[in-house]
Amino acid sequence: MAVEAGTAAPAAVENDESNYLTAKSGLKSWALTVDHKRIGVMYLVSVIVAMFLGGIMALLVRAELMFAGETLMEADTYNQLFTLHGAIMVFLFIIPSIPAALGNFFLPIMLGAKDVAFPKLNLGSFYIYVIGTVFTLIAIVAGRIDTGWTFYTPYSSRADNAVIWMTLGVFILGFSSILTGLNFIATTHKMRAPGLSWTRLPLFVWGIYATSVIQVLATPVLAITLLLLIMEKTLTIGIFDPALGGDPVLFQHFFWFYSHPAVYIMILPGMAVINEVIATFSRRKIFGYMFVAMSSVALALLGFLVWGHHMFTSGMSEYSTMIFSALTFLVAIPSGVKVFNWVATLYQGSISFETPMLYAIGFLILFTIGGLTGLFLGILSVDIHLHDTYFVVAHFHYVMVGGTVFGFLSGMHYWWPKMTGKLYNEGLARVAFGLIFLGFNITFLSQFIMGSQGMPRRYYDYLDQFQPLHMTSSGGAFVLGFGFLVLAVVFIQSMISGAKAPANPWGSAGFEWMTTTPPHAHNFETTPVITRGPYDYHLASEEELFDGFPEDRAAQGAKA
Amino acid sequence: MTEPQGTIQLPPQLSTIAPEVDAMYYAIYWISVAFAVAIFVAMGIFLYQYRRQPGRKAKPTGHNTFLEVFWTFTPLLLLLWLFVEGFEGYVKMSVAPEDSVEIRVRGMQWNWEFEHQGGVIDDLNRMKVPVDTPVKLVMSSSDVLHSFFVPGFRVKRDVVPGMYTSLWFEATTPTPFTSETECQSDNDCGSGYHCGQPREIPNGMNADELLMGGAPPEGAPEGTREVRYCSVSVFCTEYCGAPEGITLSAFSEGGYNSNHATMMADLRVLPVEGYDRFLEVGPPPPPECAGAEDVNVCWGQSIYQGSGCIGCHGNDGVRQQPAPNWVGLWGAVRPFTDGSERVADENYIRQSVLQPQSQIVAGYAAVNMPVYRFSDRQLDAVIAYIRSLTPDE
Repeated sequence: MAVEAGTAAPAAVENDESNYLTAKSGLKSWALTVDHKRIGVMYLVSVIVAMFLGGIMALLVRAELMFAGETLMEADTYNQLFTLHGAIMVFLFIIPSIPAALGNFFLPIMLGAKDVAFPKLNLGSFYIYVIGTVFTLIAIVAGRIDTGWTFYTPYSSRADNAVIWMTLGVFILGFSSILTGLNFIATTHKMRAPGLSWTRLPLFVWGIYATSVIQVLATPVLAITLLLLIMEKTLTIGIFDPALGGDPVLFQHFFWFYSHPAVYIMILPGMAVINEVIATFSRRKIFGYMFVAMSSVALALLGFLVWGHHMFTSGMSEYSTMIFSALTFLVAIPSGVKVFNWVATLYQGSISFETPMLYAIGFLILFTIGGLTGLFLGILSVDIHLHDTYFVVAHFHYVMVGGTVFGFLSGMHYWWPKMTGKLYNEGLARVAFGLIFLGFNITFLSQFIMGSQGMPRRYYDYLDQFQPLHMTSSGGAFVLGFGFLVLAVVFIQSMISGAKAPANPWGSAGFEWMTTTPPHAHNFETTPVITRGPYDYHLASEEELFDGFPEDRAAQGAKA
Repeated sequence: MTEPQGTIQLPPQLSTIAPEVDAMYYAIYWISVAFAVAIFVAMGIFLYQYRRQPGRKAKPTGHNTFLEVFWTFTPLLLLLWLFVEGFEGYVKMSVAPEDSVEIRVRGMQWNWEFEHQGGVIDDLNRMKVPVDTPVKLVMSSSDVLHSFFVPGFRVKRDVVPGMYTSLWFEATTPTPFTSETECQSDNDCGSGYHCGQPREIPNGMNADELLMGGAPPEGAPEGTREVRYCSVSVFCTEYCGAPEGITLSAFSEGGYNSNHATMMADLRVLPVEGYDRFLEVGPPPPPECAGAEDVNVCWGQSIYQGSGCIGCHGNDGVRQQPAPNWVGLWGAVRPFTDGSERVADENYIRQSVLQPQSQIVAGYAAVNMPVYRFSDRQLDAVIAYIRSLTPDE
């Protein structure tokens, strides 16, 4: 059914529901839509704008650091820039990127559902996200926020009052995150198509589901923490500021109790995308499906128990330090399991190397490096030396950018034809990948060495001996930035003049490819009945798989 | 002397704990390399071997529970070992030996202050420790979070307002301040060290000889010269901000201790006898004051310039903001914001330095002046200098 609908020319009639993009028109049809796909697209546009802003700030930071001393800006300006880079990238880009944008679009389709469980709530979360963003932007414009994205007390207790606006913005963003998570959990439990058992659930759904659990459980703690901070600043109630009788280390506990699970809010969706891409481009079910699914759940749960590893030098007791270190090593297990299983999936596959797969391979390499360097930081005696140096900066960029952003880009390329109905220029997209991969490694490999040599983070100025490494890192950042520019050209060109995409260009067995391209306003014309798993290539019909590549079908036919 | 050398990845080992930390670092480094190579090679082989070829289909994924269980639980043993080893090292770093020499460290935006046994307070951002002796630092902060980090020693600990934290180390390599360790820039010193802040030394001598009470040799030209020595680097690693909207000079131009990035101290590891002598005599008047007409006035002026008073207080009788000019201050009647007043005498100045917020002169905002804990001798010098700025009537 899906195949035929996909090839049929969309009729230009009023209220044609076969294409969600053209089903209704006008600004209002977007602003008040309850269609999860349109909401997903609106999130996508927002997070891309946020990433662009955060990226500009990163480049300015790196430009300042090319040379020791003051080159472009004052120390104060620099401090504000890296603060905003962190806050924007974390709260406005990475956290909503995959779950809220791609998840919103594809989770219901993968479940064979018409929409999420609570469509109006879904629209509500988007507007809460917008309000939170507005508050954050007000803070940026109105004042001077130089606390770092962690808002550590008592520095933030005494800082400019714009911090209140910023934390209020993040507080509001948190509710968007909670409601989206709630919606996804309900949708996954209640809206699965007939035949879609938990063991047939696409791993993308498993990943987003685990993420949603964390969002619902952890984000309230961030809200409480930020509210306490706001109360301290406005009512001078002593909670974190020792000058008022508070405890600054308490803030760190509260903050990381959310922000460490948040690391998994960021990385699990990246892993979720990679599952889909590797399966599709290897034509194979992910090896150890249940282990991979459960490792997401395990990460979600273990992620709550390791917040203290951000605080080994903070003056916390030695016993707490010991326990947090031990638990931290446990987190390495599920991550390792995933990597091993992904590599094993390639074995005996039939692998092709289109752009989404290139990003997935990039992800495997960078996430492995990011994960292994995490072990350095879990070892107590070594962490003491490396804590708060560039080694940590490099480590979490390998995980957050090499992991999440590569996962996001992989998903963007993979689902772009489905979302927009258009193909992009494959050659140019590969060039962009090459630049981004190369630029990223130059930028952050040099930071590992800087860090282990003792270069502390958040430094505006530095000793001469670090100059060559800083210069290398900045050079890499510009290559990375240029790569993103090429990427923008790829997508803009596709939107303007891209060729029409077939329903299933990659020949995937995934459920989301079984509908038309772009999808029907209600996802499917009739509720699909699931008779196989999303990666069961040996059970899928040739028509399902090879609809997108006529030449392949011809080759198959000729062989037969 | 054989200097410990750093490697591509790590700075030189300057303390007893450093070799132990580094051994763990390299253990995990090689384990990581082994894992990464294994994963990447397997991946590369599979990617090539199973690339899409006409007429060849993927084999359906089977099960291999043994493999799954194997690679889930075997790494656990390795991780357990890493945890135990790392924790052992950490315990050593946490428990200072009984016979440690204690030094009080106070962090403030953006200076380090070191108080040695017997109440000897060194010049700001200068730290002296004895070699081959366990040293325990008891640290506190008077404003925001700081973190005391010596890469060469592999030690780091947050310095937290409202509580004491501590760390200990035993330095193994002396940091001589002789003609061989003079430097122009940080590049002359290598990793783990930086080119310290300039100091005035009488001609024909070095800082080591000066510390040990030597005199300039016969025939050395009169006067002093400005010298910088390679010092062990002390960084602040907990972000602590920068002043608002001020252009700061770079390290290379001597712009130390003006913001988070330059909150450094010059650490000098002394032979035990040198450290003992330092405790005995305390921080001496700067050598350029040796022949001055009034040693205290000269010393006070040096503190005025070196400890940052000059940033806010003028000594020209003209600049009146953000803090009172020192010219004409001595003996004047000072009206306060609360309406009371007081004559500027020794006790007035002493209180203004030690408790700057306790008496705010009318017409001034209560700016966040650092609390300097000068020794009595240093305070005398500051008072003498302020006094000298008001001509006797």
